[in-house]
Amino acid sequence: MNMLTFFDPASADLEAPDLEDVRSVTEDVWMALLGEDEALAPRAVPAGAPFDAAGAWSAAVTVTGGWQGVITIELDETVARTVTARMLDIPTVDEVHDGDAADAVGELVNMVGGSIKSLMPGPSTLSLPSVAAGRAAFASDVQEVCRVDVAWRGGPVRVCVHVPQGGPR
Amino acid sequence: MRAMIIDDSRAMRSILRHIVTGLDFETAEAVHGQDALDQLRSGPVPDICLVDWNMPVMDGYTFITEVRANPAWRDITLMMVTTEGEQRNIVRALAAGAHEYVIKPFTPDAIVEKLELLGLLNHDAAPDGVLA
Repeated sequence: MNMLTFFDPASADLEAPDLEDVRSVTEDVWMALLGEDEALAPRAVPAGAPFDAAGAWSAAVTVTGGWQGVITIELDETVARTVTARMLDIPTVDEVHDGDAADAVGELVNMVGGSIKSLMPGPSTLSLPSVAAGRAAFASDVQEVCRVDVAWRGGPVRVCVHVPQGGPR
Repeated sequence: MRAMIIDDSRAMRSILRHIVTGLDFETAEAVHGQDALDQLRSGPVPDICLVDWNMPVMDGYTFITEVRANPAWRDITLMMVTTEGEQRNIVRALAAGAHEYVIKPFTPDAIVEKLELLGLLNHDAAPDGVLA
């Protein structure tokens, strides 16, 4: 499980990114990595529902500075391994090791998080990704301000943005 | 032509390697800026470095300043390939000596276009499909 904790909310701009921007960023990253014909499908999930994949990978990056937030991505296990195989040119999903998946999922959140960072007030700094086999969990001092639920080849994918409690203004 | 790909993500190195080897580049890979400096010192020196910004040990910006501080490496072309899209940092990197700047996510065509702009493309090389 990827346990995320936070930073100092005192001086940050707690503005939330626009949901459609986050959706668009996610689709752009996905198609740049996997090809134009590998679109993500929308997926209806009730508000507050936990990520519902049986097995999952998750990764997070933190933005600190002019804007503060945590961007996470959660992927169904099969989705994570299939994406990894594609990104690393591994012939079959069975040959994907955990280290391969950690690297690929980390780069996914790095690209999504970096793109979201560029949409928000700066200057700010993007952390290195942290990756875990399992779904993401969040500390009590943050709140979700944006969530995109989509599916790829039937497997769920979720991108979330959290900001410190008290935001967004 | 020889390219050094400097990125802590093996996935990203794989993607970039696939693109540039399709353009007839030989490649070397480094996992962070210090690793790249060590490889430059032991040679061979590449024609171009494709440099991520956000890496452990030594980031891409520091790597660029180190390369530009060494006159022996002045012929190396430096291209940032990074998620770092803040205007302020793009300006910093270019001022420090980067020649071009590509923001992730990118398409293979964007890399080809930049290499062409930099005069590093062998036009006999076929930029065949790369990512998918």
